[in-house]
Amino acid sequence: MKVRVAPLTLGFCVCAAALQAQTMRPFSTFRQLHGETRLTARLEYGAGSLRLEPGRPGELYRMNLSYDEERFLPMSDFDASSRVVFLGLKARGEGGVRVVSRHQLRQAALVSISPRVELNLDLSLGAVDADLELGGLRISELDLKTGASRATIRFSRPNAMRCHRASFSAGAAEVAVLGLANSRCEEIVFEGGVGKVLLDFSGASSTSARVDVKMAVGGITLRLPRAAGVRITMAKFLSSFEPAGLIRRGSGFFSANYNDAERRLEFDLTTSLGDVDVEWVD
Amino acid sequence: MPACRPLKSLGLLLMLVSPPLAAESPFEASRSGAAELINDFWTLVTDVSNRVGIQGRSSASGPRPEPIRPGGPSIDLSDLSQPTLVEGQLRPALDPKGEMRLTIPGGTARRGNYSVGSEENLTGHLLVVDGNADVYGTVRGNLVAVRGDVVVHQGSLVAGDILTLGGEVRDLGGEISGEVRTLKSASLSPAALPQSDSLTPVQTVMRRIAGVLGVFLMLSVLGFGLVIFGRQNLEIVSDTVSHSFGRAFVTGLLGQILLLPTFGMLVVGLILSVAGILLLPFAVALFAMLLVVGVVGGYLAVAHALGETYTRRRMAQGAVIGSANSYRYLLIGLLALASLWAAWSLFGWVPVAGSIMWGAAFFVSWLLGTAGFGAALLSRAGIRENFSGRLFPPEALTDEYLWATPQFGVPAERRPGTRTPTRGL
Repeated sequence: MKVRVAPLTLGFCVCAAALQAQTMRPFSTFRQLHGETRLTARLEYGAGSLRLEPGRPGELYRMNLSYDEERFLPMSDFDASSRVVFLGLKARGEGGVRVVSRHQLRQAALVSISPRVELNLDLSLGAVDADLELGGLRISELDLKTGASRATIRFSRPNAMRCHRASFSAGAAEVAVLGLANSRCEEIVFEGGVGKVLLDFSGASSTSARVDVKMAVGGITLRLPRAAGVRITMAKFLSSFEPAGLIRRGSGFFSANYNDAERRLEFDLTTSLGDVDVEWVD
Repeated sequence: MPACRPLKSLGLLLMLVSPPLAAESPFEASRSGAAELINDFWTLVTDVSNRVGIQGRSSASGPRPEPIRPGGPSIDLSDLSQPTLVEGQLRPALDPKGEMRLTIPGGTARRGNYSVGSEENLTGHLLVVDGNADVYGTVRGNLVAVRGDVVVHQGSLVAGDILTLGGEVRDLGGEISGEVRTLKSASLSPAALPQSDSLTPVQTVMRRIAGVLGVFLMLSVLGFGLVIFGRQNLEIVSDTVSHSFGRAFVTGLLGQILLLPTFGMLVVGLILSVAGILLLPFAVALFAMLLVVGVVGGYLAVAHALGETYTRRRMAQGAVIGSANSYRYLLIGLLALASLWAAWSLFGWVPVAGSIMWGAAFFVSWLLGTAGFGAALLSRAGIRENFSGRLFPPEALTDEYLWATPQFGVPAERRPGTRTPTRGL
């Protein structure tokens, strides 16, 4: 019996030796701040964990990442004429991004951007565990697209300038956007496929906003400050809505202080399947 | 007090180092308070560590500083936005065994530590290999360091991009107009130079053979398990392949085409039927499992059919075969299928023939796999015998009806098992 087992064992050993271990590779890039006042940052990141935060005073941007060199290529290109920087990872070849193993999710990136420049931020994330701290940046426009991600977007400090538009698009994702009042965005758009969404409108700013939320399948939680005047209009199909603390007037739901509030939040909600919950915070 | 000696040494070192550090630190009137104190302390520590690092590296033994003579491969340093591309160009040129020769269009290449003096104004790209690049003056171009650091000292200027491969960039207060990129890895170190794409032919052949052997062993184990636990199903799928090969192939082809639409319909259907959402993960897993079972099982059935056909032909020619059973059929079939890939493993390195062999092996494997998948679909994973050529039930194979003696006035015994098999799916 041993004689028969030996060739098999040998065969398996040979096969095992042929397998290659996945190699993660560190890459970092940065650019000094040389009086730039505007920056468009486009960040593409297929898989792994991502953290974004305000950067050091003397740097325009910085990215430190550890990536899977067999599947991805690091991207770092600054166009000085248009002030556009492309950062992140792109898949090798034309086959797109493939999530094939847990090892791939070990990729990690830390991106920091100068809080001194007016920022147009465009993020495209794949299967990413993202923690984005946007508080303290000077964001004029924000566009976030996520695939199968778990993302937390925080505005812990007020945006240093007024933001025109913040757009969030999520596929099958669990997304939490915290402190949206600090974003100082006048228009907020959220489009979700499947998943769970928390939109927290607390914060120090008093900027009024129009909020357009479209969700296919999943739950939405709206965390609203009591001081804000809230109006919600809904188009729902097989969805439930708990209008806690809101009064129905015609086709909309209004908070009691809607007419008198300094800050107003006007929601257009479209949901197919799932619950819409309202939470009030002081 | 021997313990006091390190403290005294440290104090002396700090006293010696502090005056030039103070001169280098930019004065910022806006900073104040505890944050400033901590920041200053951290700057001090960083600068001390940098200085120690520089001294340590300078004294370390390395190649003798010298210019790299032109004449070798041309390395374009004008665009450093794709560091892996530059690395790919440099890798074959940095073989330490031969004399290093590099051509840098619009620039120069150096080996060993290299300094750009404070009065120096270097125009063009600069490549430094196996050493540190200390910039005190001006570099008007891109700067690349391989297996070494770039140190940008205060008052210096690098007007282009900086890239380090296997080192780091230490900014001690200089100005860098371009982008700084650092790709850290041991892949450019001499020990790691042989990469996956630079294997020797023997290594390549060995690796491919190991791969073929591994797949063969895996399929053999799976096949033996299938014979033990589902011989009936395997034989029916195998007979379907043998008896209705064309039909099985067309079915398999259609199955491949309709695979994704079917999956999409399944998912959408479950989502739309509200209660079905809960079943979605199970349905997806089940679909994937059935697909794997269909493809692998079908492929094994093809191997079984091949082995059975070969064995029966040999027996028909009079060969004495000890145990003509499903294990033997499977082994023979898998060996036949693996032989194509084994041939490619051995001779795949031949420039044109290797590609042709790979194409042939792939095509035949796909053809047979498709037929096996189709046979598995046709026979419902070996449950239905409609296309397996088993038209007569076992009792029909008796010769008892031949014994009946016809008698006048007595109707003859009918041949048993005259059921008509259904032809449809």
